[in-house]
Amino acid sequence: MKYFNIYTFAAIVSIITCIVLGWFVYSRGKDKPLNRSFVYITIFVGFWCFFPLLTSIPESDQLALFLGRVAYLAGVYSPTLFLNFVIVFSGATGIRKMLPLGVAFGISTIFAFSVFSGYFMKGVIRNAPFFAVVPGVLYDMFVIFFLCVCCFAFYLTIKCYAVSDARKKLQLKYIILAFVIAVTSAMMHLLAPYSRKEFFPHDFLVIFYFSFMTYAIVRHQLMDIEVIIKKTLVFAGLLTSVFGMLILPTLIIQEYLFRGAGTGGRLAGLTISGIIIILTMRRIESFLIDITDKYLFQKKYDYKELLKTFTAEVLTVLELDKLVNLTINKLVDIVKLNSAAVLLFDHEKERFDVAASHNIKDQSVTLLRPDGIVTFMEETHGYILIKEMKEKNIVIPDSIQDIVNKLNAELIIPMVLHEEVIGVLSLGKKKSDEDYTQDDLDILLPLAKTLAIAISNAELFVELGRAQAEAAQREKMAVIGTLSAGINHEICNPLGIARGQCEAFLLNMKDGLYKTKTSQELINKAMDIMAKVIKETDRATAITKKLSGFAKPSKGEAEYINLEKEIDEVQGLVGYELKLEKIELEKLIQKDIASIFVDRKQFQEVLFNLIRNAGQAIGEKGKITVSAIEENDKVLIDVQDTGSGIPDDKIKQLFNPFFTTKDPGKGTGLGLFIVRQVVEKNGGRIYLKETKVGEGTIFRLEFPITVTERSSVKA
Amino acid sequence: MSKPRIVAIDDEPEFIDMLQNYFGLRGYEIDVAIRGARGIEIVKEKKPDVVLMDLKMPGIDGDEVLKLLKSMEPSPKIVFITAYDDGGKTKARLLKMGAYACLDKPISSLRDLEETVNKAMST
Repeated sequence: MKYFNIYTFAAIVSIITCIVLGWFVYSRGKDKPLNRSFVYITIFVGFWCFFPLLTSIPESDQLALFLGRVAYLAGVYSPTLFLNFVIVFSGATGIRKMLPLGVAFGISTIFAFSVFSGYFMKGVIRNAPFFAVVPGVLYDMFVIFFLCVCCFAFYLTIKCYAVSDARKKLQLKYIILAFVIAVTSAMMHLLAPYSRKEFFPHDFLVIFYFSFMTYAIVRHQLMDIEVIIKKTLVFAGLLTSVFGMLILPTLIIQEYLFRGAGTGGRLAGLTISGIIIILTMRRIESFLIDITDKYLFQKKYDYKELLKTFTAEVLTVLELDKLVNLTINKLVDIVKLNSAAVLLFDHEKERFDVAASHNIKDQSVTLLRPDGIVTFMEETHGYILIKEMKEKNIVIPDSIQDIVNKLNAELIIPMVLHEEVIGVLSLGKKKSDEDYTQDDLDILLPLAKTLAIAISNAELFVELGRAQAEAAQREKMAVIGTLSAGINHEICNPLGIARGQCEAFLLNMKDGLYKTKTSQELINKAMDIMAKVIKETDRATAITKKLSGFAKPSKGEAEYINLEKEIDEVQGLVGYELKLEKIELEKLIQKDIASIFVDRKQFQEVLFNLIRNAGQAIGEKGKITVSAIEENDKVLIDVQDTGSGIPDDKIKQLFNPFFTTKDPGKGTGLGLFIVRQVVEKNGGRIYLKETKVGEGTIFRLEFPITVTERSSVKA
Repeated sequence: MSKPRIVAIDDEPEFIDMLQNYFGLRGYEIDVAIRGARGIEIVKEKKPDVVLMDLKMPGIDGDEVLKLLKSMEPSPKIVFITAYDDGGKTKARLLKMGAYACLDKPISSLRDLEETVNKAMST
């Protein structure tokens, strides 16, 4: 246990961290001065971190001192290399770079030569678990040198911060944070010999120091660095807890419970540790991952959520309005934006209008095709990032600035589909005031593309719905045409009565046939006739009203309908036709049957088509039975006829468009095809239940009974 | 020459009422029925010169009635008055089968009907 303690453990972890992060940053940019300057620090500081190990392992004090001095060879260059990093980052060149670096390197080299003398390091304190230098005069001076370099580097960092853009500022924030940690850590180590105590294994801080530095370097360049840092942190955390759990029970058993328990005690301790580790490891790991995800990599966390939300909830929406509004809401919510808007191209008006927005200054803003923004996006399919344009000193014309202001926009992305800009996604600044990074763009640009597809789908769906509705309407009108015989009969009968009664009265007067009647009798007679005329015209009007009501296109709104009532309505229309053909229509509706939630008119159309088809299948003399029952949360409606039946070879084509067995002029063949579309649009199903040539056919409709419907009906 | 004797069959009572009113006041002997079967009985009983009837009535088929009346001795002249219109097909068939005339409802003029009835009698 002499050299295996929390201090040496911390050293091991920080060395591993140095190696992993140093290698990683190096591999990501071998030629970048910043990356290289970082790698130098990781190498030297990493090596310095070996000090507790190198001084604790050897049995001989002499060897320990020698190895400690070797570790300090790296240590004396650490402040200089840190200064180098800051200078590279600040972009200083010439004398402003060379002078301070030259001086620092010179001094470091002097210290390097003195490390092996007693002036720097008189010996090492090997008071396990604490290991430190026995300071010489030069060691004191090195501590002062270290502080001076740090102050100077800090000064440079602050100076650099003042003149940096927002992105660099963010990086600098991390560097400053890392800086504070580094100085604290180094000071804990450097000052420990004086107090002969170290309260906390400072090497642990080194892990954080390097993590922050790495993060600062690559934050805006690479995504996967976050994964590496995360893994490093989780790894470090896990190692720490494993170590802690290995040591603690053993320590407690040996030191407090069974003092001097020997090997048996240690084994018992190790067993307990093993059990605890097995039981808790998974949980600790996921806890660490959660923590790092949540606090250090929140941005990434959001991206995941953004993608998940969009693929699961937004992009599948087929209603255009809902789609664009949801897009805006979710973007604002997840990316945490001040404002956002979706503009869509209106083919009629030849311009882009706001389709959905959040917190923009002017809702009525429009983009015209010849506008600079649109032309730019059409030609390049590229985005416009205001900050970037300003950084590159690109002059933004007033007209574009005006639009940008109205939209409250910071980032404008075209939504491109098949080389055509179909819409524009305008995003405002983030609430955090952070700039849009390459990471943001990497996710937002493809998202805009996918959104374009979703929007186009929704538009097509609206179009399809309209086309379907139009086809259904045309079919309905065609069908009404085939009703003309029945309707004509039903209108002309009352008209015949009205006309005949009036004419008879007039002719009788004219021919002097009422001479014997008193004027009162004549008035009564006339009044009687007028009453009849009113009654008969009402009769005729009723059927035209029914007809025109049926002919009107549906509103496309679902409601709870009473089956019996709707069947009666339809009977009112087809009834005459059936009567003329001597076809009986029978209704068998289950008592108190549940209402169904459908578009009333569309449901009527469906029934109408089925009953009329049944009538046509019968021709003359027969029976149509419309029955409805409830079964398994569904309403089943059967339309059964005693008609000619459907031959086997025709069954498959039944629902195909333009399939018909009727004589030319009697049907377009769209009937069942459209009926099925309408039924499915209303959440139902239609199929041929049974058919026998010469005996008849049953078509079945199924509609679900919704729970809310139940309560609303009962209520 | 005596006026033709008429039997009118139609399921619309008000229409029958109007015919009875018109022809009755003008001295025609007219009997009416609003049910097809009853109408045929009356025809058999009264042996009218002219039968005015609707084509589409519950429980009665124009073609069959026409055949039945045609086979009677003496057979009356049959004038169909109907609101049923299938583009003239049925009308042509009935005329071919021996109907005297087919008129549309509403009748364009009662005078025309009266004339048709009288003409039917004289042929």
